[in-house]
Amino acid sequence: MIEVRDAKKWIQNGARRVEILKGISLVIPAGQFVAIVGASGSGKSTLLGLLAGLDTPSSGEIWLDGVPIHNLAETELAAVRGRKIGFVFQSYQLIATLTALENVLLPFELNLEGSGLKRARRLLDEVGLGERVDHYPVQLSGGEQQRVALARAFVVEPPIVMADEPTGNLDSANGRMVLDLLLERNRRAGTTLVLVTHDPEVASCADRKIVLKDGLIVEDTLPCAMPAVRAGTVAEQSLEQARNG
Amino acid sequence: MAKRALSWKRAGAIGWRDLKSAPGKFGFVVLSVAVGVAALVGVRGFSESFRRTLNTEARSLMAGDLSARIFHQPTAEESGQIAAMVRQGARGIRTTWVTETISMASVPPDPVPLLVSLKAVDPAEYPYYGQAELEPAISLQQALAGDSAGDSAVVAEEFLIRLNAHAGQTLRLGGRNFRIAAALRQEPDRITAGAGLGPRVMISRAALERTGLLAPGSRATERLLVKLPDKPPAGASAGTDTASVRKQLEAALPEAQVMDFREGNPALSQGLDNSTAILSLICLVAMVLGAIGVAMAMHAHLEQRMDMLAILKALGAGSGDLLRIFLLQTLGLGLAGGLLGVAAGVGVMAALPAVFGNLLPVHAVLGFPWRSALAGLGTGLLTTLLFCLPPLLDVRAVRPVLVFRRLVEPGPVGIGGWFANWWARRLQLGLSVVVVAALGGIAWALSDSAKVGTWFAVLFTAALVVLLVMAAVALRTLRFFLNRVRLRLPSFLRHGLANLYRPGNQSAAVLAALGTGVMLILAVYLMQATLLRDLRETASPKLPNVFLVDVTTDEIDGVKEFFKHQPGVNQAAGQALDLMPVVTGRFISVNGQPVEQLKGQHFPRRMLQNAELSWADAPPAGDKVKQGKWWTDPSAAELAVGEGVAQRLHIEVGSAVELETGGAVRALKVAAIYRADGQHLGTRVDFVLPSGQLKDQAATWYGGAHIDPRQVAAMERALFAAYPTITVINLADVLERIESVVDQITFVVRFLAGFSIFAGLMILASSIASTRFRRMREAVVLKTLGATRMRIVRTFSVEFSVLGLLAGSVGVVFANLLTSVLLRKLDVGFHIEWRATLIALVGTAVLATLTGWIASYRILGLRPLEVLREE
Repeated sequence: MIEVRDAKKWIQNGARRVEILKGISLVIPAGQFVAIVGASGSGKSTLLGLLAGLDTPSSGEIWLDGVPIHNLAETELAAVRGRKIGFVFQSYQLIATLTALENVLLPFELNLEGSGLKRARRLLDEVGLGERVDHYPVQLSGGEQQRVALARAFVVEPPIVMADEPTGNLDSANGRMVLDLLLERNRRAGTTLVLVTHDPEVASCADRKIVLKDGLIVEDTLPCAMPAVRAGTVAEQSLEQARNG
Repeated sequence: MAKRALSWKRAGAIGWRDLKSAPGKFGFVVLSVAVGVAALVGVRGFSESFRRTLNTEARSLMAGDLSARIFHQPTAEESGQIAAMVRQGARGIRTTWVTETISMASVPPDPVPLLVSLKAVDPAEYPYYGQAELEPAISLQQALAGDSAGDSAVVAEEFLIRLNAHAGQTLRLGGRNFRIAAALRQEPDRITAGAGLGPRVMISRAALERTGLLAPGSRATERLLVKLPDKPPAGASAGTDTASVRKQLEAALPEAQVMDFREGNPALSQGLDNSTAILSLICLVAMVLGAIGVAMAMHAHLEQRMDMLAILKALGAGSGDLLRIFLLQTLGLGLAGGLLGVAAGVGVMAALPAVFGNLLPVHAVLGFPWRSALAGLGTGLLTTLLFCLPPLLDVRAVRPVLVFRRLVEPGPVGIGGWFANWWARRLQLGLSVVVVAALGGIAWALSDSAKVGTWFAVLFTAALVVLLVMAAVALRTLRFFLNRVRLRLPSFLRHGLANLYRPGNQSAAVLAALGTGVMLILAVYLMQATLLRDLRETASPKLPNVFLVDVTTDEIDGVKEFFKHQPGVNQAAGQALDLMPVVTGRFISVNGQPVEQLKGQHFPRRMLQNAELSWADAPPAGDKVKQGKWWTDPSAAELAVGEGVAQRLHIEVGSAVELETGGAVRALKVAAIYRADGQHLGTRVDFVLPSGQLKDQAATWYGGAHIDPRQVAAMERALFAAYPTITVINLADVLERIESVVDQITFVVRFLAGFSIFAGLMILASSIASTRFRRMREAVVLKTLGATRMRIVRTFSVEFSVLGLLAGSVGVVFANLLTSVLLRKLDVGFHIEWRATLIALVGTAVLATLTGWIASYRILGLRPLEVLREE
């Protein structure tokens, strides 16, 4: 479960203070698929960064499974990120000098013991790249690179996957494929999925839609019916609690 | 002419803002230029100041207005001529003789003698200019005046240190005692006297006569110092000016080397010019590497600015307009680097006296070297601009369509594509030839020799190409192995090694540049180490390691007997002591041509007019007859000539010479041409006659023996007690002195070659800085995936250190190849110096890692989001 308590984020631009997030509070129960939407500059990516521990709030608190990550030391934060969160970025962020297989293997080697080779190969198979394991990112198309990034995000089997505009750089066919893979992961493994997007169609597939505007949550709704498998779970109760304040 | 879309002013403004956007990257580019300029300004500035010192202190450095050096004691006739010259002038001209020789001296009660460079002066006259600095600070006249107890001497501090003595003690020289009156800190004309084999001991001429050290034929040089009147006396017409006194001096002493203060010291000036030329070329290597660094950085920069260039082209700018922007940027970077280099060069110049150590006999008065600064700045700018032009021409290939899509259709592939690619770059290729030619021109200007300039350009270009190929092969080989084992390697190692092939890394060029620096320094060291080792190893037990100088005929039998019974002497073949007599003679004609008319033989005429001859009825030990046959008749009218002299004088077997010796003229035929091995006494003379021709004349003898090195001190002690006027030269001491001079010279060269390493490191830093954004992104992606700082440090450190190791390997391999070729030319065996090789490898890796991290500053502290959001 991810909990945000009155998180604010501002940056000092000379004498002027620019407020990006003006006080966000929310709870994301385990297993939920949350879409964060909003116009450019509304604070979506900043919020995602705070949720993932990629950045620290100027004030407020971020809790991940009962652990306050807003004041963790860098090494501990790296460990939390490495084991609990899988990332997918709009511009893929693969390491150019490593092959597809090595890119997928990387989080495993950074965070877990033993050999992740079999798992990495299996994941690449699952995303349809079993024949391209030894290719470098530059040898892959955008859609293929994003699928490698998905396999990389899943390799440590994290309870949470965060995605920042994962389909933003892709054509519709590839975008659809990437979204399907994410949803499948969310449904099959119960992975919490937090996804930032501009695309209303993508957002409409989420369990929950949070709309940001000028650094504030202006809408927090459930566009799709909750899947039966999770009806009445703690997650839903937590969500309910969050809504009630 | 069509109007340019961009004015120079606008192009300058765009260029300036672009430079400001990446201060780190361009900072290293500026440093790359500065390194070479600093080295060049330092060396040439020092040379400029040194020359100025020579000119302004010329009289002090000579201790007179003129000097005439002869290699024998002045004859009565010569002394008379000089006296007449002074008398005749009666115009205030003063003269004094200075005698220089080597001898043995000890400080009782320690009986071990030390080889010293002895100088005898008339303290009432010497020096005419400058002064001898003594400790305690008394005058030279006071110091050498002696007292009722006997004579006195002043000695160099080295003498006091080596014999553990102090002022006030007694030194023993030529069988007499001298009180050490003071330590000699500096003598004005040390530069003219030249470096001796031992520390200086200075006594008065009167005292020298009393020692009996100078027998007829003794090895000594005599220098006549002349002082002209400060103001020509009233009524003096001509004859007191430097030129006319010089003429008179040349007439009075026809065999002498005459110099006047106006020429400074021709040998030293020539030496200074030669060293400046060589050292300048070493600096030019650093400068060219710096320029290559700028060119690489500009190439990488252009690739990163493709979008901006495409936009400008889409808006109507032509290639010429874009070229303006980057030309102005290059000039700006070159100028900034040049100015920084000049400032640093003044620092290098100030540091050079310490680097040169005691190689320099004169303390140069340093001033701001305007000429060298301008020359360095100009050379730096020109080199930078020249090397940057080929990559800058790439702006012509930028297509405006890039504005719309990143990928443009590729050109033809295969061999056709290869040719098309080269054809498209024909202008760059042509320009590269111009760059190499210009490099030759710059080298010509710096060395003052077209031949040297041409060879420098050709060899340096060839070396760079070879190093580049070696670097590319090394990288490919590593990749070949990496591809085979990569998944079995630890993650950080695999990742670090893979980073060597990061797009835009220019690894091969970095390896070649850094490798050049390593190659230069290591090659100098390997040559030095191998030659010195060879010098030590050739001193085999069969060869003499102790030489005797100035043995008189009366002493010969006693000295022979002494060596027969001396412990440790190699008595093989019953020849404990190898002896060679030397008699002086004067050649009158060679091949029928009077000696005065011999020209262009590169052999000093005075060496024929005051030639050293020996006699032997069989080839002396170590001499090998190359042509003709040694005589069997001891009274044959023949002679044998050393190979080198024979070549220079065009003498062959059968050539006729006329020679005057002992008052008689002899007509002789050349019977044999021989080659001396350089390790026996035979090397000492170039003319050997049958014994019947010379043996009745007064001779000075030289001796050589091999003694167990542990027994040399005991032998010196005993011989000095029995024969105090005989000088002993211990080869081990000479080798030690040679080693110390060679060490000092190679230290200077290595110091300057170090600038090339620094230039190579700046190229590495600049290359790393130009891929900074890629590295930042990589670091934050790793952090996002759970990597700790230490994991990122390990990954990047592997990349930097392996880059250093590879550059070191390239440099080490090339240095060893180069050294082995050069040593083969010198007939010296080559062995790999493993220790130096290892130090070079590890040292380069450490330096590369440090530089890599300096160029990657702040990368570790970045927050992931601030980088990822900049995408």
